[in-house]
Amino acid sequence: MDLLFLFEWLDTSFLADLSKAYGGVFAVIQMFHLLGLSLMGGMIFVSDLRLLGVLLKDVPSETVVENTQKWFSVALAVMILSGVFMSSAVAIKLYYNEMFWAKMTGLFLGIVFVYTVRRPLLRYAHDSISPWALKMTAISSIVIWLTVAACGRWIGFS
Amino acid sequence: MYAWIESTHVIVLMLFLGMLFVIDLRMLGLAFTNVPASRIADRLDKPMMIGFVVMVVTGFILYYAIPVRSTQSIWFRMKVVLLIAAGINAIMFRRKMQQATGDWDTDPKPPKRIRIGAGLSLALWSGVVMTGRTIAYDWFDCHKQLSYFTYWAAGCVDEMAAME
Repeated sequence: MDLLFLFEWLDTSFLADLSKAYGGVFAVIQMFHLLGLSLMGGMIFVSDLRLLGVLLKDVPSETVVENTQKWFSVALAVMILSGVFMSSAVAIKLYYNEMFWAKMTGLFLGIVFVYTVRRPLLRYAHDSISPWALKMTAISSIVIWLTVAACGRWIGFS
Repeated sequence: MYAWIESTHVIVLMLFLGMLFVIDLRMLGLAFTNVPASRIADRLDKPMMIGFVVMVVTGFILYYAIPVRSTQSIWFRMKVVLLIAAGINAIMFRRKMQQATGDWDTDPKPPKRIRIGAGLSLALWSGVVMTGRTIAYDWFDCHKQLSYFTYWAAGCVDEMAAME
């Protein structure tokens, strides 16, 4: 499936008019992308390190996970919205950028993982889940999201 | 190599600022309301400080790589001022936390003085990230045509002398 048409559409959209004409607007949106990254990082590290038994050991892991889910989704929404805006400034260039596609693959996997594997699994009482399953879930989550973040940073260098 | 240090600086934001956000959101009564505030602050302090140390070390290396341009960057200067302000706020916040006798520790929403401190912390550290990101842009670099005030604020001494 060739997605070039999507990038051509984005390249000529209203968003691109804004992001290409005003460097300042682009920079401000980019700042929110970074702040969203930080918020997301906090939710990932706190919940996954709790599942690994590193942090907050005196708080039930169900409580920790439950408290991080809403803010994780908020951060993800901020990142996707600001990300689409940033992409509009360099849409065609991104289409031919390998790192961009590495990031999108990771992002897609991450979203599927969080909403169809991690959350449904963690809805059960955590002591009824095999400790290995919990640990693997946490490690997968950390690895996937750090990879997405690193690929994202590398788009700028490549 | 610069790219690796820069990437570390960005990725570790997820740890340092991430932990800070969780603590501040708790102090604002917006997250972890069913966990005592002091427990969140206490247990997340160590990972946050580990992140902070990495940020400072990588930050110094980044500065060392481009010292003149950074010193003459208006954004870098703003970032340092905000860093100092955020640091002072953090020290005052810690003192407020220690003075608290724990009477509000389990309250979902901490008292106003704590919420103000947490809000300031969020705003100041966000400002540090924002001005930090902008250092990369050359809008107000010394070689540009700028006003005397901007040259002064950025410390472009040669350009100031040329204007006089």
